[in-house]
Amino acid sequence: FTASLLLGTTLTISSNHWIMAWAGLEINTLAILPMISKSHHPRAIEAATKYFLTQATASALLLFSSMINAWQTGQWDITQLTNPTSCLILTSAIAMKLGLVPFHFWFPEVLQGTPLTTGLLLSTLMKFPPITLLYMTSPSLNPTVLTSMAILSTALGGWMGLNQTQIRKILAFSSISHLGWMTIIISYNPKLTLLNFYLYALMTTATFLTLHSTKASKLSTLMTTWTKAPALNAALLLTLLSLAGLPPLTGFLPKWLIIQELTKQDMA
Amino acid sequence: MAVAVVLLSGAPFHGGCCRHKVFLSLLGPLLSNSKLYSSYRRPGAEPKKKLSWQNADFSFKKSIDHLKTQLSLLTKETQDYLQGPGGHPLSQHVLEQTRVLWQFRSQEDLNKWVISSDVEIGGKSKVYIKLGRNNQAALLYGTLNTEVPRDGETKYSGYCSMRSRPAVGSFNRKKYYDWSNFNSLYLRVRGDGRPWMVNIYTDPYFSHQKDDLYSYFMFTRGGPYWEEIKIPFSKFFFSSRGRVQDNQHPVWLDKASFLTLGLTIGDKVDGPFQLEIDFIGLLNDRAHREEFAYETYDKN
Repeated sequence: FTASLLLGTTLTISSNHWIMAWAGLEINTLAILPMISKSHHPRAIEAATKYFLTQATASALLLFSSMINAWQTGQWDITQLTNPTSCLILTSAIAMKLGLVPFHFWFPEVLQGTPLTTGLLLSTLMKFPPITLLYMTSPSLNPTVLTSMAILSTALGGWMGLNQTQIRKILAFSSISHLGWMTIIISYNPKLTLLNFYLYALMTTATFLTLHSTKASKLSTLMTTWTKAPALNAALLLTLLSLAGLPPLTGFLPKWLIIQELTKQDMA
Repeated sequence: MAVAVVLLSGAPFHGGCCRHKVFLSLLGPLLSNSKLYSSYRRPGAEPKKKLSWQNADFSFKKSIDHLKTQLSLLTKETQDYLQGPGGHPLSQHVLEQTRVLWQFRSQEDLNKWVISSDVEIGGKSKVYIKLGRNNQAALLYGTLNTEVPRDGETKYSGYCSMRSRPAVGSFNRKKYYDWSNFNSLYLRVRGDGRPWMVNIYTDPYFSHQKDDLYSYFMFTRGGPYWEEIKIPFSKFFFSSRGRVQDNQHPVWLDKASFLTLGLTIGDKVDGPFQLEIDFIGLLNDRAHREEFAYETYDKN
């Protein structure tokens, strides 16, 4: 399944035809489903079903968008998306794939039902192909729609994560928030989006692997991990602060550059 | 299909006056007011006289009052949200080791529970609930009757149960609680020596899992003394539609949304029963390290 995930991801990021990109996304979706439902617990099955339904809908919308563009312009090239209707439908498809507001409701529930390692894949590897498609089509997409979704994602990701007691849900809302940061700058400086994504993936990987090794899935368990692995707990503290964007840690860098770029665009 | 073709092709021969009869015979079940499925009513079930929309009360004043109540609930929920998870500060959530969920001190506490028995399938058991002496406990009592109703399909009978109503917030939305900090159920009861079954229903999202239930036994001692029963959540076994499943898994309590707790008696012994319940709560028993009591299908 991991090999299929890598195949699907590689297929999508290296393609310039919409059908190949869609095929890669479908391979990714189908490959991750058995990993989500591996434990056969009803909650895991529920998470897998929710994931399948949302991702299948998003894939269908993506294909629909590419077909409208192909019908209107005769182009199947990903970078040649010019039809306004196609752009709008593609924006909603990518938002659903990524978990941007207002299509974010599935993400915390799915992440809560999965084991921590699969949750890591969902938060990092599964986000890579849609971010790549967004990167390639960003000049054609409506900046107002993207900015609105980004601001809502950043705000709601932060507020909804406030009273959570399950760590996976907190990380899901953190992911939604970071996706907001990535999306807001994509129309003006797409390279910052990629930088933000790479650093987010690195920090999230560190967080998930630490939580996996300490087997902490809720806050009360996290309170007692310092007795079992004090050094790892201290590293987790720094990683979480970095995710939060505290200077002088790494996570501050993309946020600083994004705000700087937005200031240049008279938006901040 | 062939019958329909024959019937329709035969219609012109019988003349135009009979054509509508042919259509009616084909479309009869769809056109009639009766439901498409069987209208058999189980004995004990009340005959349905009114349609569900006819029970709606369209009074404007009542709707305004209802809206005011819901808005005040929503305000309270927002204030609780600002305070912390479940309306309590985070420190309380992290440090608490016990929590009382239901205690029976007033009629309002009793109204949070629903009693039922095999009368709903045509049986003859009786169950009642009232406040005990000095309003210090709930008294669940009645008579169990294992006589099978004569409807030709029921094979077993004889159960009485008490189930908690699921918690709803403002505008009838589900309330989510996180009980994952606790690992045991704690009940202070005084029984009559009869065994009970404690059932937990976690309201799953998809309809395929709506019949899933987690159960365990509660053996009461009988006698004048109260007993405090601790049932770890790791002991609850999984069943679906009343059948214990081979593929067992522990109950997850992180999303106790519509979670309902039920106490059922069905020990196949005719006669009276009685159970006094002081309170039902949760406990984090640090000495209990077991994760799950039953074998799962995981590969080693």
